[in-house]
Amino acid sequence: MAAFSATSVTFASSLKLSLRNNVITERTSNLKMVTVGWRKNSFPSLKTNRFRVSCAAKPETVQKVCDIVRKQLSLPAETQLTSESKFVDLGADSLDTVEIVMTLEEEFEITVEEDSSQNITTVQEAADLIEKLVEKKAA
Amino acid sequence: MQKQVLSLYRGFLRAARSKSPEDRHQVETIVSTEFRQNSKQVDRKNFIYIEYLLRRGKKQLEQLKSPDTVRLSSLNVSLSQTKNSEK
Repeated sequence: MAAFSATSVTFASSLKLSLRNNVITERTSNLKMVTVGWRKNSFPSLKTNRFRVSCAAKPETVQKVCDIVRKQLSLPAETQLTSESKFVDLGADSLDTVEIVMTLEEEFEITVEEDSSQNITTVQEAADLIEKLVEKKAA
Repeated sequence: MQKQVLSLYRGFLRAARSKSPEDRHQVETIVSTEFRQNSKQVDRKNFIYIEYLLRRGKKQLEQLKSPDTVRLSSLNVSLSQTKNSEK
């Protein structure tokens, strides 16, 4: 694992790529990412790097959220579901949204604060928040 | 006010988690039926009534939270009674 994070530092100039690598690895690597950040603190573009981490959720997380949303709203298989999909557009009312957030909590073993759960309106927002909370839990 | 209702709904779903899978499913079905029914039937501007429902819901939630409340028969009765009185 240590070797891996070292590699990604070497590739840090092609930041986007190395970021992807980092993000796609398992949860445990999140901790290492932080260490990388510290070591390379003077690196100017690193800020964008870390910012992106909190912003763009893993594709697999997005996918999992999509599946849960689909199941929760009993959407037919042909319904298009993207990360930009708004729950409201999918026919969810406020109660459905609460149910979705509750199911997500269980699936990802996290606790979503009441305040932030009110702000979730799209799959992407849900996935981003989940990543943040999972990261926080791992740290 | 909508926030309060949603928060109460979350509370119920959270409380349901502490029950056995079978009971939990039952609790969730009843709770969501009740909320959905009220969301359709109750006038959104009828604040006094909604406030009353909120207070009542909070009390029921307290009861449900107690580990002694395992079976739903009691909750079932109270819910069906209130449903009748609403009609």
